[in-house]
Amino acid sequence: MLTSHPTLLIGPSDWDAEVMPRDEFTQRIDALWRAFPDAPCAIVYGNPAHHAELAYLTNLVPKLEAAIALLVRDGSHEIHLGGGPNMLGSARPLTWIEDIKPLRGGQAIGRRALEARVSFPGVPLIIGDGYMPTALHQGINEATGEQALDATAQLWTLMRHLSPYEVSAMRESAFALNGAMTAIADANKAGAGVTEAILLGEREANRRGAQDVRTLFSLDGGRTLQPFTTKIEAHVDPLQVYVAARRYNYWTEGFLLLSNNRLPVAAKAKELLLRALAAIKPGARTADVAGLISAASKPYRPHPVTAHAPLSRVGLALEEPPHTKPGTTFEHGDVYSVKVGIANGTEHAIVSTMVQVREGGTDMIWATW
Amino acid sequence: MNAQERLADIRARMRDEKVNLLIGLHDGAHFIEKPNPVTVLSGFKSLGPAAVLLQPDGAMTLIVTPHWDAERAAQNCPDARVVGVDDVAAGVLGEVGRRAASGTAIATAGLRFLPYDIASHLTVALPGARSADKLVFDAARTKTADEIANAREATRIAELGYQHLIAIARPGMSEDELAVELKWFMKTLGAEDNFLLLCAGPHNRAVQPSNGRKLAIGDIILAEITPSFKGQLAQICRTVVIGEPSEELARKYELVVRAMDEGIKAAAPGVAMANVCRAINAVLEAEGYGEYCYPPHIRRRGHGLGFGSIRPGDVALDNTAMLEPDMLFMIHPNQYLPETGYLLCGEPVLLTERGAEPLTRQKAALATIAC
Repeated sequence: MLTSHPTLLIGPSDWDAEVMPRDEFTQRIDALWRAFPDAPCAIVYGNPAHHAELAYLTNLVPKLEAAIALLVRDGSHEIHLGGGPNMLGSARPLTWIEDIKPLRGGQAIGRRALEARVSFPGVPLIIGDGYMPTALHQGINEATGEQALDATAQLWTLMRHLSPYEVSAMRESAFALNGAMTAIADANKAGAGVTEAILLGEREANRRGAQDVRTLFSLDGGRTLQPFTTKIEAHVDPLQVYVAARRYNYWTEGFLLLSNNRLPVAAKAKELLLRALAAIKPGARTADVAGLISAASKPYRPHPVTAHAPLSRVGLALEEPPHTKPGTTFEHGDVYSVKVGIANGTEHAIVSTMVQVREGGTDMIWATW
Repeated sequence: MNAQERLADIRARMRDEKVNLLIGLHDGAHFIEKPNPVTVLSGFKSLGPAAVLLQPDGAMTLIVTPHWDAERAAQNCPDARVVGVDDVAAGVLGEVGRRAASGTAIATAGLRFLPYDIASHLTVALPGARSADKLVFDAARTKTADEIANAREATRIAELGYQHLIAIARPGMSEDELAVELKWFMKTLGAEDNFLLLCAGPHNRAVQPSNGRKLAIGDIILAEITPSFKGQLAQICRTVVIGEPSEELARKYELVVRAMDEGIKAAAPGVAMANVCRAINAVLEAEGYGEYCYPPHIRRRGHGLGFGSIRPGDVALDNTAMLEPDMLFMIHPNQYLPETGYLLCGEPVLLTERGAEPLTRQKAALATIAC
């Protein structure tokens, strides 16, 4: 889900070798080389808003300025960080790569990539280039003679299969998410105003180690969602909320509809969600599950917020498609955010869960029940 | 000036420059140093990539992503026609298509700050479009009355945040813990965003984003506290010592405060921004720190405050912008000194006819946390 992007990422994201061992990253890079046997190196771009690929390969989540990892097949990896030489120190704890340099522009990166071709004469890979500023992109193109091969989509294919370490990180993230949801529910039940409840949720997620928390809420019973823009003291019922929490670089997300009353629309949404979950198993078509939600929602209509992406891959990214789109079929080990949103003009509800696909069904990563 | 008057100025500039359609673009990744023409033109702070199409007659179309955010946008911008899309480039080109057929003179603002995938799409599809960055941001070089009021509130929040920092920072706490708590605290006061750079150490090389380092006795905490209130940033730069500061540190901090004071004194209508930087440098150069007045030790002595326009730009020797009333910017010497490391001191100032008015109630002074 798109939420308000903060101007600076504030929160703990130091690399922890016990949580994500260096071998994990080595194996991921090796998988990239196997997918591109002739590639001498990979130029991997990330900025504070878009960095899933960079984080996957280096653990680095750039907090302030963009960064480029130059991954070289011989293992002499480098990180080039924006912001000047005095800013390098704060990034060192964030990654396992030790060689961190100031980012000097696309030409310098491109030239360095070409140097790697001395030992491996194939075409350099470029990943995440769509997010680059145009000037940086042009500099790399000029230096490499526009030869770099965009491997972003292929990397996302590799990223689909989560390791036990990644699933473990997501469960820690879900712990923070659950804390936020519980705090919001408790505050709302106690009569707290909208943003007071939201902020209590954010604080609880932070207490549980979240490095980032994003929230959206509704003031009109779930019809529309909005980010925090100013304090809102009114208490609303029902209160529709969306929370995403991030821990060890992995996101989990959830929708919750809170009310002191029994809401038929909420019951219907939950019923649809359970039906969708029952249909998810390895080999099942993702389009069939999305279609099931849509077809069974009558007399309600699909909610505009979830209609286009009832299933999405959430992990290192919280982004909209295309990269977070589900594949054609569910596969063992995939993790999905499953969202059911329905509305009829006067009633609205969005509920969701996060699951990992396993033989015969799913394991819950996060749910409200 | 209010937002309507600024928009009228932009439309007049469009007519002068024979621009029939102005397209303001932003990718939704709000950043303190990235100007946002969508916010300048519409007042809207989007979730995702967004665009504003403005005609000289005032007709405005606001294109927002994700599509479901259109209703919030419409509530924020009741005078604009709002279109919700999931691909801003396609949305812009769909809207432009009808107008371009008649040979419309198109100009874009914000294109060079867009990510390549959006920018390249638009550049290819709009080959004759001119840059309107200067047109838009010249008109937004001063703040509106609402932006000034919001900057005052953001400054108040920043000062409360600073008091909270002094109240809670203690040895053993990590930089991340402290930064997260301060961000949360200021959000409870109404700050929807915060560019909070916070780091600590016995000899800092620069102010940097927080990480997991634990605070220790003898640390110098550097904090650029920059809350945004209703989309307007304000900043205070502060330095705090854990434990008793040395006499030398206290003396050097007085020096940078004196440098800041000279900068504030120098800032007046009709003065070039470069002269503000010179006034600050002069104090430090007189004390023998001339070599530390240039990169890599220092890049600038302040900057504009977005999220909309970041004019009048950096307090830097190469900024020839002439200061005018209602300009809002930071003056921060933020100096590395070999004896003490990096020291932060800075105030947000509003240019008035009388000179630079600091928005803070309490000027920077070296603070201590007793252990």
